[in-house]
Amino acid sequence: MNRREFMQCAALLVSGAGVASVPFSLSAEQEQFLAAADNYNTGEANYFSDAQRRIVAAMAEVIIPRTDTPGAIDAGVPRFIELMVRDWLNDEERAIFEAGLKDIESRIPREFGASFDALDSDSQLAIMETLEEEASSSAWYRFGNVVRDFVSDAPFICQFKELTIHGFFTSERGSTEVLSFNMMPMSFDGDVPLDPGASTWAARIQS
Amino acid sequence: MKGTLATRHYDFDAIVVGSGISGGWAAKELTEKGLKVLVLDRGRQLRHGSGYYGEHAPDWKLPYQGKPDRERYARDYKWGSKTNAFDEASLRFWNNDRKNPYAEDEGKPFMWARADVVGGRSLLWGRQSYRFSEQDFRANEVDGHGIAWPVSYKDIAPWYSHVEKFVGINGKTEGLPQLPDGEFQKPMPWYAIENTIKDRWKEHAPDVTLTNARVAILTEDLPNRAACHYCGPCHRGCSTGSYFSSQSSTLPAARATGNMTLMADKLVEKLEYDARENRVSKVHVIDAVTRERLSFSARIFFLCASTIASTQVLMQSTSKEFPDGLGNSSGVLGRYLMDHALDLSGVGGFFDNLDSYFHGYRPLGLYVPRFRNVGDQDSEAEFLRGYGYQTMTMRMDWSTTFNTKGFGVDLKEKLRKPGPWFFGMNSFVECLPYKDNRVYLSKAKVDRFGLPQVAFDAEFKANEYKLRDDARRQADRLLKAAGAVFSVIGDEEELSMFGAGIHEMGTARMGDDPSESVLNKWNQAHDVPNLFVTDGSFMTSSSCVNPSLTYMAFTARAADYAVQQMAEGRI
Repeated sequence: MNRREFMQCAALLVSGAGVASVPFSLSAEQEQFLAAADNYNTGEANYFSDAQRRIVAAMAEVIIPRTDTPGAIDAGVPRFIELMVRDWLNDEERAIFEAGLKDIESRIPREFGASFDALDSDSQLAIMETLEEEASSSAWYRFGNVVRDFVSDAPFICQFKELTIHGFFTSERGSTEVLSFNMMPMSFDGDVPLDPGASTWAARIQS
Repeated sequence: MKGTLATRHYDFDAIVVGSGISGGWAAKELTEKGLKVLVLDRGRQLRHGSGYYGEHAPDWKLPYQGKPDRERYARDYKWGSKTNAFDEASLRFWNNDRKNPYAEDEGKPFMWARADVVGGRSLLWGRQSYRFSEQDFRANEVDGHGIAWPVSYKDIAPWYSHVEKFVGINGKTEGLPQLPDGEFQKPMPWYAIENTIKDRWKEHAPDVTLTNARVAILTEDLPNRAACHYCGPCHRGCSTGSYFSSQSSTLPAARATGNMTLMADKLVEKLEYDARENRVSKVHVIDAVTRERLSFSARIFFLCASTIASTQVLMQSTSKEFPDGLGNSSGVLGRYLMDHALDLSGVGGFFDNLDSYFHGYRPLGLYVPRFRNVGDQDSEAEFLRGYGYQTMTMRMDWSTTFNTKGFGVDLKEKLRKPGPWFFGMNSFVECLPYKDNRVYLSKAKVDRFGLPQVAFDAEFKANEYKLRDDARRQADRLLKAAGAVFSVIGDEEELSMFGAGIHEMGTARMGDDPSESVLNKWNQAHDVPNLFVTDGSFMTSSSCVNPSLTYMAFTARAADYAVQQMAEGRI
């Protein structure tokens, strides 16, 4: 029995305990417990070309590199970005992203003699810093501009950073190996000494 | 049951419409007193535990890793998605606003956030649970807005105790006349920064009290319910029953008596009025799935469908005797609609207690009880009544700083570590009862069952705006007194949309005079003695505190009275 089947059995056992006057069965929708779902960033992706995938992975890794903890590629961020661009961005946002990615794909080999992913890390960083410099007047960077769904006209580099950072810190490896994670804290203590090197808790809704 | 009517055959002794906070209590109290009770809910069946499909799902399992599905939410969950109890892991509890609309193009903008499952909004509520004070119950007669409540605090106090013991509310006793203490479980601990703020207020703002929010979440086990495990997002459902909902608490108690029949997917179309005996004889329902029409008879009827829905049912239940809605001889049905105006009045940033962190996700904040116009104080104030602040404390992290410049190791380091503390103050502003704030049935629009859609015509007025402005001035003072290194004070001109407090109340208010109220002091319709309405529609004024606990107390009290009346053969 795998984990998903186990969760479904457990659900059926629980549901058998009650009494209803109408016949009750789990709908197909109810049978799917999110905690037993596959990780989102392992979903089937078919949107980028192989060349684009290599560029996206390299760019994500420039933003969040592997150190003594996992980086963007380790955490599945490139796949997350591909899924989000395909399924989540709206048409306007997707057009900005695609234009930005196509620019990297075609311009960088002309200017640097090789695809972005084949360049040394200093060149990659310099390219990213230039993109950020060019976008620096965007409202995206405004302090506190974080409590919203997305900024639809944000430049490519801002979209890319937001997707990378969100995709990383909400991924399984980012949450558990870079941040701290505890699904069942069992107690609350509001005054625990903070080790200067410690990470935050993975984001959970709190009051 | 003794009495003349008891020998007649009814399908049930009592029918309860709605299974949310109020309906759950009506079901529990009536079944425990021996009545055979039918509970109807328009929402789909949802089982405690197994129905919580998103509970304990980490972000990486959620669609889009928790980013909102914007297009779908805007299309199907226009209002639910505007609340903080909405995400991919709770979406299936919410009403589909496209399938079940209301007439938004009439009247004024109104946010009606509805659940669509058995248990209703008791699964999704904020769980803050406060008693109304004697000052609240006297407010209308003192300042002349609305009509006098037909009850006083001492009438309700024992019923507050009755429900609190079963609900399980954690909180701190404070001895404040404007916020009476209740039967509390031990309070949850505080963040260090909150103690710092409290200490500074003691010195620089001694007129305010900072206390635990009083919240219907267990810190001590109750039968079949475990103390909170601090996982965080309560609104996804809690299979340990740590927070109070109909699902975790009142419906299981009612089911345990063997006296409850619960039917899901049953939309009430109409209550049938029997003029000869001056009573409600039947409820007519539509099965939301099969469209089948059914009817059930009972000796008494409890309307607990939520303020707007119960009022809608009464308005739809017309007859020769009640052409303007059942029990509406006064003409006030649908009027005096209230909600709490909400305002994020101030947020402060703190560089104190940076070496202190936390373990566990505390599912509540703190509370600043009303401190304006308390007793005779502030008699020169240019506004009536008051407000309280619900506070939230958070430590900045990557999710509040991701739009930062830089790349690589430095950025990764910066984002993974905690930033400064933030302390936000949300004011909940009392709304006066105004006759022209109302809900009514649209003449133009019907829903997919052919029933009239409701429309709203309500707005906040000068007193609510003055209270809001004062709440901002005071938040500015209080954040400075607390030592915030910087603070941002609310500056939106408009108040929150009417309904956004999700505390809609008052459209079938209670009072002593049948010519200006729908219900008497027992939540019993003046016009129709076997009809009781115990959700928020009975509210005569709104106070500034969260109202659900008051609905529960009045529901239990009304159930007790109704059963007595039945025993005496009066209904």
